[in-house]
Amino acid sequence: MKLQAVREGRVVRLTVSGCDAIDNANAAKVKAEALRLLGDAPDVVVDLSGVEFLDSAGVGVLVGLFKNSRLHGGRARFCGLSPGVRSVLELIQLDRIFEIYDDVQTAIRS
Amino acid sequence: MSDNERNRTAVGGTGEALPDLVELCRIHEIGLDLIGRSHDVDELLDQVLDEYEARLAALPSDALDARSGGPRPESARKLRGLVMFASQAAALKEKAVVASELKRRAAALEEANARLVAALEEAGRSRARLDGVLAALSSGIMILGADGAFLTANAAARDLAGAKDDTALARLIAHGVPRESEAEIDLPTSGGTRRTLLVARRAMPGDPESEVVLVTDVTQRNRAVEERVRLEKLAEVLRTLSVLSHKINNPLTALLGRAQILQARKSDDPNIAKAAAVIEDASIRIADLIRELAQVVRDGRQDAVDELLDMSVATPAMEKRQ
Repeated sequence: MKLQAVREGRVVRLTVSGCDAIDNANAAKVKAEALRLLGDAPDVVVDLSGVEFLDSAGVGVLVGLFKNSRLHGGRARFCGLSPGVRSVLELIQLDRIFEIYDDVQTAIRS
Repeated sequence: MSDNERNRTAVGGTGEALPDLVELCRIHEIGLDLIGRSHDVDELLDQVLDEYEARLAALPSDALDARSGGPRPESARKLRGLVMFASQAAALKEKAVVASELKRRAAALEEANARLVAALEEAGRSRARLDGVLAALSSGIMILGADGAFLTANAAARDLAGAKDDTALARLIAHGVPRESEAEIDLPTSGGTRRTLLVARRAMPGDPESEVVLVTDVTQRNRAVEERVRLEKLAEVLRTLSVLSHKINNPLTALLGRAQILQARKSDDPNIAKAAAVIEDASIRIADLIRELAQVVRDGRQDAVDELLDMSVATPAMEKRQ
């Protein structure tokens, strides 16, 4: 599992790669590493194009990132959702709460 | 689709059509408790998200895994509770967006209001400075509105016009001077003399309906102009007298010389001697007159010139009578 944070203007792009799923097995590590990389950056775009599956712990990571951005007065945006990830977010209605975009550039420009 | 319909659709795969009533009541109470603890939409959203996160953490890890054949009944109940909070959080987020926009607009309004207040204060200070300048001016300034209606005037304008009230002052200006022109108005003063005012009516820059009227006391200036014209005329008369006296003096000297020669010859004809004496006397008188004239030219006095001219005019007639 690899996380990479790159600043693009006022936005920090966080890319998750090297693992198909964020689940109970790696969620705590992913969340801790993501929060460390993001620091107090308020505006974040999370690129999930490398993630195929989320369980409840994985969803908890995304909720944690969403709350972290709100805490710093900014916005967290999510993009590159696979059909499996999108269906999980729709099932528990997080698609109504999160800002979801098709790709990174659209998310950054929004 | 309503939230309830959406909830039923979302968890329909669990096999249960309605959420458990006890759990529903509990969620309702939690929601009321959260609302009671916060009146700020953003803060409330954070609290609902905290509750959502806590419930998410309580879900079995396979509850969201479609591959496992759907959640077990206990997981389905928790999932329904989670979805209820998601609905609340979604509604709160929409309100938070609206509240944020309202706050942004309120802040913009407040900022615009602050700028407006600052501009009004600056306008007030500018007005005070302008009033100070107008009050300090010795020239009178009046502002007329549409149709020559009086708006304001400085103290100098009132003093110069001697008008008892502003309406009378405006009427005096409007009747005496056409728009976009200037003219002199003669006014009696309280001391019995007359005062001449130069009144200029000009369109107000930026507000063509209004006019600015400049009132200047030109009494002294007119007197000065008259005095200058008089002095110029006097100078011209003196110059002419100077030339005349110089030109008369030369033939007069010859005339006097010849008369004295005729007297010195002791002619037998008494008429010649008498005529020579008369010519000599007249020549001497003319010479005296020219000396006086030269003195007047040197002094440059108007009254002396007048006296001399009167005498010059009177002399031939008097001699003729003699």
